[in-house]
Amino acid sequence: MKCSDARHGDRLRILVAALSFGMAGSLAETASGADATAREIGRGRYLAIAADCAACHTAHSGLPYAGGYGIPSPFGTIYSTNITPSRSYGIGTYSEADFARVLRRGVTPEGKYLYPAMPYTSYTNLTDADIRSLYVYFMNAVKPVEQMSRPTRLMFPLNMRFLMIGWNWLYLKKQRMAVPGTATSQVARGAYLATALAHCDVCHTPRNFLMAEIPDRNLGGAALSSWYAPDITPDYPSGISTWTDEQLRLYLQTGNAPDKAQAAGPMAEAVEKSFQHLSGRDIDALIAYLRQVPPVGDPAYKRPRDSFGAPSHMEAAIRGSRVDTRTHGELLYSRECASCHQPSGKGSRDGYYPPLFHNTATGAPDPGNLVSVVLHGVRRNIDGRIVYMPGFGPESPIDHLSDQDIADVVNEVETSFGDPEVRITQEDVRNIRNEGRFSLSVTTERMVSLGGTILALALVSLGIVLIRRRRAARRRL
Amino acid sequence: MRKPSFTSGGDLSADVVIVGSGVVGGMIANELVSAGHSVAVLEAGLRRPRGEFTENWRNISFHNRLHSDFQGIYPQSPLASAPLYFPPNDYISLSGPDGDAFKQGYLRIVGGTTWHWAASCWRHLPVDFQMHTRYGVGRDWPISYDDLEPYYCRAEEEMGVSGPWDVALQSPSQRSRPYPRNMIPFGYADRRVGEAVNPHGFRLVPIPQGRSVAPFGDRPACCGNNNCQPICPIGAMYNGIRHIECAERKGASILSESVVYRVDTDETNRVTSIYWYDRDRNAHKATAEIFVFACNGIETPRLLLLAANARNPNGIANSSDQVGRNMMDHSGIHATFLAGEPLWFGRGPAQSSCIVGSRDGNFRSRYSANKMILNNISRVPPATEQALALGLTGDALDREIRRRAACGVDLSISLEPLPSPGNRLTLSRTRRDALGLACPDIRYDVGDYVRRGTKAAVEQVREIAGLLGGTELHVTEQYNANNHIMGGTIMGANPGDSVVDGTCRAHDHPNLWLPGGGAMPSASVVNTTLSMAALGLRAADAIRSRLAGKTS
Repeated sequence: MKCSDARHGDRLRILVAALSFGMAGSLAETASGADATAREIGRGRYLAIAADCAACHTAHSGLPYAGGYGIPSPFGTIYSTNITPSRSYGIGTYSEADFARVLRRGVTPEGKYLYPAMPYTSYTNLTDADIRSLYVYFMNAVKPVEQMSRPTRLMFPLNMRFLMIGWNWLYLKKQRMAVPGTATSQVARGAYLATALAHCDVCHTPRNFLMAEIPDRNLGGAALSSWYAPDITPDYPSGISTWTDEQLRLYLQTGNAPDKAQAAGPMAEAVEKSFQHLSGRDIDALIAYLRQVPPVGDPAYKRPRDSFGAPSHMEAAIRGSRVDTRTHGELLYSRECASCHQPSGKGSRDGYYPPLFHNTATGAPDPGNLVSVVLHGVRRNIDGRIVYMPGFGPESPIDHLSDQDIADVVNEVETSFGDPEVRITQEDVRNIRNEGRFSLSVTTERMVSLGGTILALALVSLGIVLIRRRRAARRRL
Repeated sequence: MRKPSFTSGGDLSADVVIVGSGVVGGMIANELVSAGHSVAVLEAGLRRPRGEFTENWRNISFHNRLHSDFQGIYPQSPLASAPLYFPPNDYISLSGPDGDAFKQGYLRIVGGTTWHWAASCWRHLPVDFQMHTRYGVGRDWPISYDDLEPYYCRAEEEMGVSGPWDVALQSPSQRSRPYPRNMIPFGYADRRVGEAVNPHGFRLVPIPQGRSVAPFGDRPACCGNNNCQPICPIGAMYNGIRHIECAERKGASILSESVVYRVDTDETNRVTSIYWYDRDRNAHKATAEIFVFACNGIETPRLLLLAANARNPNGIANSSDQVGRNMMDHSGIHATFLAGEPLWFGRGPAQSSCIVGSRDGNFRSRYSANKMILNNISRVPPATEQALALGLTGDALDREIRRRAACGVDLSISLEPLPSPGNRLTLSRTRRDALGLACPDIRYDVGDYVRRGTKAAVEQVREIAGLLGGTELHVTEQYNANNHIMGGTIMGANPGDSVVDGTCRAHDHPNLWLPGGGAMPSASVVNTTLSMAALGLRAADAIRSRLAGKTS
């Protein structure tokens, strides 16, 4: 198996020097215990935001950190757990060591193995000081919620959590992350933020058939349910080389880089719940880090995503004429899109309704984000102001478009404003709507190819368990 | 979740069967299905998507746009006509001194007439419930403002109303809860007119509206398309379809193209079943514990009269002979003029502010109150028509259109009719619809109370126009309809002179509710939808208690 790469990658082995940057003062003067705790809590709160714990552990309109948020996977939905300090349903009985073990090794005090939907492969890089602050924050400042979170039931064989022992053996790093010794303290801080806390790689790095990140495509773009988390390496044309620092900053802090890109779906959540609350220094550190990671690139990109399209003049040409020469897609654009994005596609002057040309969603070779926005809409709460577009799928509060309608209108938008070579079908829309990106056939293929691997994993896991038991038995003797 | 059951032949059985899928039927369906009851909604008209209406609106002729053809863009089922005026389809035959003032626009379509309303969400004043006691005219309601106030609050929350949090700008200010959202900010024109007229006692206030400037839940922010009437293209305005779809997701069955025509009653005059024709003209039967007819102020009395049976020979719920009588609408006039400065009406929603200085006062013992809406629909079409009529061309034409569009003012003035038994809907003896069901005839006379009120309103308009440096003042001489249909199933304490009780239950039938505008015994001068919704929610509570009493 080609899995040793993950353990012995080409990452260097110098411990993060992040503490020296952005956290000065944490080891400051001796103060009263209460002050120290308050400071620790404040630090922990910031770290929890940077790590975006709430993104997964707070359900839509649910109580903070009470869990129940569903993360779709090809093998079933994984529901996040209650991480409030409830002693019955949350983490109230955890010691700091228990807490560290869950974050770094993905194992609960009861010995239950988490699925890597919990980014413990990222959090394994957290410093001891940060884990302590997070622990103090969660135990003292988060309100306990006495409520059981919804259990996760994946399909066989992944419902056997002990398989994760083998997975962890293959993919969970034993050592903390490292950055090159030549890195500036700003880049080091950015690396720590991006890798240990914000876990950018969890979405932006593609995964292999065992759902482990592929190291030499770090941050190179990956499918994520129905969405596509693009290449954020300095590659040209697929990455961020054409973005200015100011555009990246605006995008992370507001979700809107005018005439370039708008955050929707999971990235809108990340901006809303995490990035908009980070300090300007930390945002700049993230950008500095992204600027120097190895470019990955995607051969599907012929030119930058935001370089396509021009204003449309279709509407003016057809009104008042007796013969309607429009395609079904053009008609749908006029009916459903033009009232906000304008017949021209220019959007509104204030940018609340973005232009559809020179837009990364319409210029991407992968139409996943455009289809997802049409299906599910956009929602970002930026500093109390809500940017919102309704979806047009079956649950739409505005108008229900069929899968064929959505395919037609997406193809029209691609033709007029985006990459005209992108074409989707009714079946693509159905697959994206039903199961995220994983069509049934792909899932089945995956399951078949998984068969042998699972068997191997099971054997490895069993082996490890037996060895551990034997060692434990020996210790007891 | 309980769902209606259907036989193989298409008959249905449910806890509650609602006829009519507008704002009232939709809200009641949603309340009762949320309480765990099985609910079926029968709608005579078609079910069509928003985008189709938007497209039809974009393709409407200039003439129809100029003259506000709000009905024409909505496709009709051939088996369920509704009024059309471009050209007239004569579905309703109008007579009497002011028959032409009763050209109502209402939709028979899933979602109902709030597809093309302007989303004004007014409350009646407390005194409007006591017109007879306080002013010696009209009728008192059998319930008070305080009885309805909690339901006004609920209706405002259901519809996501933006209204003034500033008490000084509220009409009325008797509220137990604030508006869900603060008022839509005044536009430039609202502000300028307010500055000019408020010192003279006219009292310009924001119109409470079922839309908002920020998203309301999953309803997007208004982006100012300015064609709320006839269709909000983006769903920023509340439409009754919201509650229909909400109820449907919770298990209610919505049957479109289902025209109810017959009602069976038992020896206690309980309604046992109703019958409808499907789109292929096949008859089906619906049985239920409770029936609700919420078909609008014209179609509900029409159905009650059509469905007369042996035990109720004058029509269902009609032992008082009041079904179809007391028909009311805020018969109105329009005043247009060119202000002495550019005001630029037409930005934002179709209605934004309103002059309510003459909403109430002791004069109401003698003549009608009024309210004056500053119509905020763009003035470009009328400005264009006027400029063309001047024979201008080229740059001169452009300049004149711009000047008239910028300075044009249109006041939509609503007056308050009194309930009068002679203003009556009856069944035509000669005209029938495609199913052979009698079409409605309506006789209408606005009455001297309104005529005297009109004189007062015209005097006020002259003063307002003067304060704004107005020229070319023109006041319409014929009353126009405002589509606020009231009175035909009037509410009262006495079963001898009214049709429904204070919960909108028919006096004659223990399990039949007739909520909506038809129940309203006084018109006030304000748009009826919020009051209709509040009455619907109050009826839903009464129905819920009835069903709970039955099962316990």
